[in-house]
Amino acid sequence: MVDGGRGEQRREGIERPPSLISESPEERVIKALLEAFPTAVTDFKKLRQGVLRARIERRDLFKACMMLRDQQGFEHLSMISAVEYDTRFEVVYHITSYQNRLLVELITTTPKEDPSVDSISSIWGGANWQEREAYDLMGVKFNNHPKLERILLPSDYLYHPLRKDFKG
Amino acid sequence: MNLYTFCYGLIHWLVDLVNNLWFWLGGHLPGALGGFFTWAGDLAKSDLNISFFAILLEVLIMVIIALINVLNFIWIDRKWMGRMFDFYGPYYVGYRIGGWLQNLADGIKLFVKEIIVPKKADRLGFLLGPVIFVASSVAALSTIQFSPQFGVLTSGVDTGVPAGVLIAFAFFAIAPFSILVTGWSSNNKFTLIGGLRSAAQMMSYEIPMLLVVASVFLLSGSFSFVGVVGAQHSVWFFIPLFIGFLVFLTCIVAEVEIQPFDLAEAEAELVEGWTTELPGFRFGLFMMTSYMRGYIGGALVVTLFLGGWQGPSLIPAELWFLIKAYLVFLVIEWMRWSNMRVRIDQLLNIGWKRLMPLAVINLLIAVALKTMGWF
Amino acid sequence: MAEMWINMGPQHPMTHGLWNLRIKVDGETIVDAEPVVGYLHRGIEKLAEARTYTQVIPITDRLCYGASLAWSHLYCTAAEDLMGVEVPERAEYLRVAALEMQRIASHLMWLAAYAADLGAMIGFIYSMRDREVFIDLLQALTGSRITYNYPRIGGVAHDAPPDFARDSLRACDYMEKKLKEYEDLYEGSKVFMLRNEGVGILSKEDAMNLGITGPSLRGSGVKCDVRKDMPYSVYPEMDFEAASHPDGDCYSRYRVRMDEMYQSCKIIRQAVTKMPAGKWRVVAPRNGPVGTGIGRVEDPRGEGMMYIVGDGTDRPYRLKIRSPIFVSVSAAPKLLVGYKVADVVAIMGGLDMCIGETDR
Repeated sequence: MVDGGRGEQRREGIERPPSLISESPEERVIKALLEAFPTAVTDFKKLRQGVLRARIERRDLFKACMMLRDQQGFEHLSMISAVEYDTRFEVVYHITSYQNRLLVELITTTPKEDPSVDSISSIWGGANWQEREAYDLMGVKFNNHPKLERILLPSDYLYHPLRKDFKG
Repeated sequence: MNLYTFCYGLIHWLVDLVNNLWFWLGGHLPGALGGFFTWAGDLAKSDLNISFFAILLEVLIMVIIALINVLNFIWIDRKWMGRMFDFYGPYYVGYRIGGWLQNLADGIKLFVKEIIVPKKADRLGFLLGPVIFVASSVAALSTIQFSPQFGVLTSGVDTGVPAGVLIAFAFFAIAPFSILVTGWSSNNKFTLIGGLRSAAQMMSYEIPMLLVVASVFLLSGSFSFVGVVGAQHSVWFFIPLFIGFLVFLTCIVAEVEIQPFDLAEAEAELVEGWTTELPGFRFGLFMMTSYMRGYIGGALVVTLFLGGWQGPSLIPAELWFLIKAYLVFLVIEWMRWSNMRVRIDQLLNIGWKRLMPLAVINLLIAVALKTMGWF
Repeated sequence: MAEMWINMGPQHPMTHGLWNLRIKVDGETIVDAEPVVGYLHRGIEKLAEARTYTQVIPITDRLCYGASLAWSHLYCTAAEDLMGVEVPERAEYLRVAALEMQRIASHLMWLAAYAADLGAMIGFIYSMRDREVFIDLLQALTGSRITYNYPRIGGVAHDAPPDFARDSLRACDYMEKKLKEYEDLYEGSKVFMLRNEGVGILSKEDAMNLGITGPSLRGSGVKCDVRKDMPYSVYPEMDFEAASHPDGDCYSRYRVRMDEMYQSCKIIRQAVTKMPAGKWRVVAPRNGPVGTGIGRVEDPRGEGMMYIVGDGTDRPYRLKIRSPIFVSVSAAPKLLVGYKVADVVAIMGGLDMCIGETDR
């Protein structure tokens, strides 16, 4: 039911750019991301119907998110997850488009010595607390965040408990 | 024979009984000591003293009757609420009398609790506020008359206190002051907001209520309970003054601060409003007093609009009065348990923009009726 | 009166849990607000890393006391996505029936708390009484009443008891009758409408941008529902509508939840009548593969998501939980400023707070 009839999927009240109706929305998003950031976006993949994954360099993350919101109609940031690997942190953004029924998984990588990415809380207000949570539990810093403080743990806590060197 | 003559006779008999000893002592003890006893006996025998104590006894009787009624009211409230809410209400304490003893058990529980005064509270105001609240309510209670014969009277004639209704309203209106004092002196932001809300609420509902009361006074031409009820001999005032009746009922609910208008102790946003910091039995007294005020409200509605103690003489007048007061209380409780709470600005809007014009219209109707000579 | 800060919480009747809403009031008008959460943080994400995939299911039940089944189901869908497990069809129907019962129970609990907040104890008692019907059904199905531990990776724990379909249908009939009664009780009350209409208005754009999801977002007129947008389980075969209401105020959010209960009754009917015979569980592999899995469901409170990273062992490497209320509560300043102190309970109550999932 998701596949057929693009025109029916138009929601009440949400305007969609008319020129883009003909294309499949997944292809359109991939194409737009690749055109705008040809060097930064790597490893894109359609996971299943309506779910995309792309990796993006952290320097272009803010601009890519801006573009996704303003030009591709991604109104909603679902989730920000920070994952620790041996040499890097991955920050995973799940971004949703209500009008196109799309979910994009943007993965950005940041080295362990300098775990920081640009804050996107000025783009999606819902990112504010999720970034604070990622900072609190995983220790990833978000540049230009309005209030990057601990949120779930006490403000005088010393550790970031979701890191693997913290034995729970 | 009315309550005053009964109490007068009782006190007189008691004084005579004691004076036998006093005068015997005065006759047998030497000098100044004997003179003192004689003087004391004469003083006790004087009419002023006896009537003073007779009135005190009357007040005591009225308050005891009222307290028993209040216990009934709490029980009825709980049972009625239980029926509306699909449960039994009090059940186990006093199993054979329908859980009536539950109130006493709650009272004992609250009574044995420690009285804690918050460290930074204003001690005098904190301790005095609830006392003023209770005392003013009890004072208002003692003015209620159950029948021309039964009430706090000052002579053997069945006219009652000349300005009895006015005194009742005057005592009734002291409560917001005590609420404000308690709320402020508890040194807690929730109690402070509760106290201020209560002050604003009482102020805006007092005026339409007294306008309605004025229309009743206008029609009856009297300030006393006996006069007001006597004027309703042919037709109860809620028929000609139906608007006033509704306004008065609403205002009484607001004055007593129960459910649609209980903003001063709105438990959802203000924890318990101005009673948040009250400990143990002070809270218990407040709880009891709020029911007591509900009882006074019901009694005032009955007096002013529902013909007081008038009714077929199958059952005594006093019982008629109580039955009507209980029915009004049931209606108030029905409103209480099926309604939500309004917001403070909406409350003031209702008071000033709805009830106030209605009260004025009601007053105009009363004036018209009076000038037409129908009353 | 000068402006002052008031701490509503952590121990306050408004909070329905353990959080703190600091509001700055000028008289009775709110000029600033700051929610403080974290009092109930149990580190569930960290706990999950030390348990095997199956052992995580009871922990995810503890995420929300109002809708625990939705969370364990969400975890199972995420784990199935990671492992590539196909769930038998009967299990999917059982899950959908249980999930919708859970949704009704959760919404009734919200209604109970909301009515009590606004001052109508009668609504609290009635809603809790009728919630019992669905809790009993879930007890018959799963064996417990609050934390069900029912879904499994690759199916559900047990089959439905005999007569489950008949009882469910009767419960739905009963519930629809009672919902009419609630509508009379609330919408017939002038006071309820006074307290709800025009309070806590949230525009469509703000709601989407601030990440508010679920009934609160649909109450702002956005017609989006994960059950429709990214259908999971057997929702595509069900005939229902995503309820929405355009006004964006507290009444609108109330209306959406009431309509959702009707729709849930409809889904339960279809699920129990269409339910095929067959297996209700397949055996899932003990070790998960290296990779990631996402689960995205429509929780009673909004969009619930889980992101699982597997490293080839029998324990999840990382489990990230997206709680709808955690994001919604961050919008509190936007919602509250300009309204009265008494509106705090209507607005925050209208979001259906659940602190277990907020703090995790």
